[in-house]
Amino acid sequence: MGKILKVDLSTESIKVEKTSEEVARKYLGGKGYAVYLIYQYLKEYEAKGIAPRDIDPLGPENVLIFATGPATGVAGFPSPGRYHVMAIRSPLTGSIGSANSGGDWGPFLKFAGYDIVIIEGAADRPVYLSIVDGEAEILDASDLWGKNVFDTCRILKKKVGGKNTSVACIGPAGENLVYISCIMNDEHRAAGRTGLGAVMGSKLLKAIVVSGEQKVEVARPDEYKKASKEALEKMRKHPVTGEGLPTYGTAILVNIINNGGLFPYKNWQTAINPDAEAISGETLEKTYLIKRRPCWGCTIACGRVTKVEKGPYQILYSEGPEYESIWALGSATGVKELDAIVKANHYCDEFGMDTISMGSTIAAAMELVERGLIPEEELQGLDLKFGNAAAMVEAVWRTAYKSGFGKYLAMGSKRLCEVFGAPEYSMSVKGLEMPAYDPRGAKGIGIEYATANRGGCHVTGYTISVEVLGVPTKADPLVTENKAQLAIATQNFACVVNSTVNCLFTTFALGAKDYAQLLSAVTGWDLDTEELLRIGERIYNLERVMLNKLGFDGKDDVLPKRLLTEPLPEGPAKGHVVELDVMKEEYYKLRGWVDGRPTPEKLKELEIEL
Amino acid sequence: MLVWEMQQSVVVTLKVFATLRKKYGFREIEVRCDGTLRGLVEEAAKAVGNPELVYEVFDKDGKPRDDRIIMINGRNLKDLKGRVELKTGDVVAVFPPIAGG
Repeated sequence: MGKILKVDLSTESIKVEKTSEEVARKYLGGKGYAVYLIYQYLKEYEAKGIAPRDIDPLGPENVLIFATGPATGVAGFPSPGRYHVMAIRSPLTGSIGSANSGGDWGPFLKFAGYDIVIIEGAADRPVYLSIVDGEAEILDASDLWGKNVFDTCRILKKKVGGKNTSVACIGPAGENLVYISCIMNDEHRAAGRTGLGAVMGSKLLKAIVVSGEQKVEVARPDEYKKASKEALEKMRKHPVTGEGLPTYGTAILVNIINNGGLFPYKNWQTAINPDAEAISGETLEKTYLIKRRPCWGCTIACGRVTKVEKGPYQILYSEGPEYESIWALGSATGVKELDAIVKANHYCDEFGMDTISMGSTIAAAMELVERGLIPEEELQGLDLKFGNAAAMVEAVWRTAYKSGFGKYLAMGSKRLCEVFGAPEYSMSVKGLEMPAYDPRGAKGIGIEYATANRGGCHVTGYTISVEVLGVPTKADPLVTENKAQLAIATQNFACVVNSTVNCLFTTFALGAKDYAQLLSAVTGWDLDTEELLRIGERIYNLERVMLNKLGFDGKDDVLPKRLLTEPLPEGPAKGHVVELDVMKEEYYKLRGWVDGRPTPEKLKELEIEL
Repeated sequence: MLVWEMQQSVVVTLKVFATLRKKYGFREIEVRCDGTLRGLVEEAAKAVGNPELVYEVFDKDGKPRDDRIIMINGRNLKDLKGRVELKTGDVVAVFPPIAGG
């Protein structure tokens, strides 16, 4: 088994513990193992008389966990270049913090000798954590504080040297405790959601640099070789993972989602963007795309490298934007200038902010402005009208530094809309801004958003694959039948993937059976499909128990009022709202939950020990 | 008006995306056809001068290809029950296999 590095920044103590095979067998690794560990902290706090809801997301009592899984860094495993981050509480939502990122950092943490890093407490001055070939040190980061993500990555990478060296860090947004800030790695990769950059910032932890050459062993090499060959062959032959994603990246979704009438426009006032073509993957490919950049060990290589040669949004090297970022910074805000979107995306990476929450929060502000709900003096001359590209780009850096109106945007859309007296215009669930699919045009993603543990999130359970893309099967997006079941299946399987940890895009080509084969060979356990999906269900339920402890239940499994009461005005889903209640009732029944809470019987059935 | 002329009197827009644009050299084309999907694609193939376009949408048995996303006015062909009858002003969109997230 692997090792856990436990760092207490308050006392500057560093401990090494072994991972437990018993826990790993029940929760795999990555997200699952982190959920288990965070639950132990919650129990510990409760035993000390500290209620979970009294834990300050930005206080030293919050805990941050970086976790790889059995697949991370294993050559030949499909897309194994990812890691998962969790916190007891997100500053944005007050619920659990959870995010996932690609690049090199996850594999290189393993090569540095560790599977998991736990950060407790808070430093009394800016520090960074160095993990080089098993040796961990807490070092002074005074000269790094204030630096952007690109500088921080380059400086530390150069300082440490070595072949497999990678940096995860925060930018100014995380330092400034912006609630929509993220943890970045390898310059342009983001553990984007739920504001974990601010958690790192609150601990005065600027970066974690990892480096090493330690080997990652697999338990059954011959069996693994065969399983790997088969899986990679399936990935290569599959039209999506073998051709679609490599050629166009994720931005290729813009036109199809818009065509299907579920591409939210101008803060979700409608779901057809008349300018979609101008911000589409096809247009990006013809204009600003220069090459691809894969995550470690990935055969898909969906990452984009871009360049805007001239004009007000000139930027000679950038990465992205991917689909969600184009949507949030472009369609949600009504901005049709793709170069402005590339630049805004670049700023989000440079300062370390979640592109989905950033774009959505700007879009919410634009609607508030349109409705005359923000006093002019608060805007300080910033003309936040839908479609104003210059104002959108300016709003991004203002948010990172909480400058002028940026101080409101830095709160995220929920608090922003509450401050200006119109909470209904925050298009969020549990305080997390929803991504780029309007559930009035695909009902399954509606029940999925409402019940997703971390809040408005599509990767918790990507029903769009079935409802719109027809992979691996096709379901009518406009009906509610069987959508609860679809959401549950995708949520449970995503837990497996995020605990494996590898990329969710592999699931376009690979199913639970492929995963069971690969993971059995890597771990040496005899996992079958049934056990694997049960592990996924167990993780989802334990995570839900934590949500319950933090005060979230059925009353929070809801959608913004707009989606329930304002029918879509045009397109194939014209006249549709989300019939959430009917799907939610079925969802709870199938989950074995009552009002958003797993029953004791369900927890017993899943062998979850509380 | 002859029956044949009446059948040919439907004007429909065919849009293609992603790799198909490069392969066939167009983004969208408006064609007069008989109101069937097959008829639309055949007329479009003639108009762009590339008969391969038909096989981009239909398999060798003449059925719409399972690995293409075909949308009629934004609704996936697989979700539309019964026979498709195109009307003037309809928009048919054809996508190769794509995904993301």
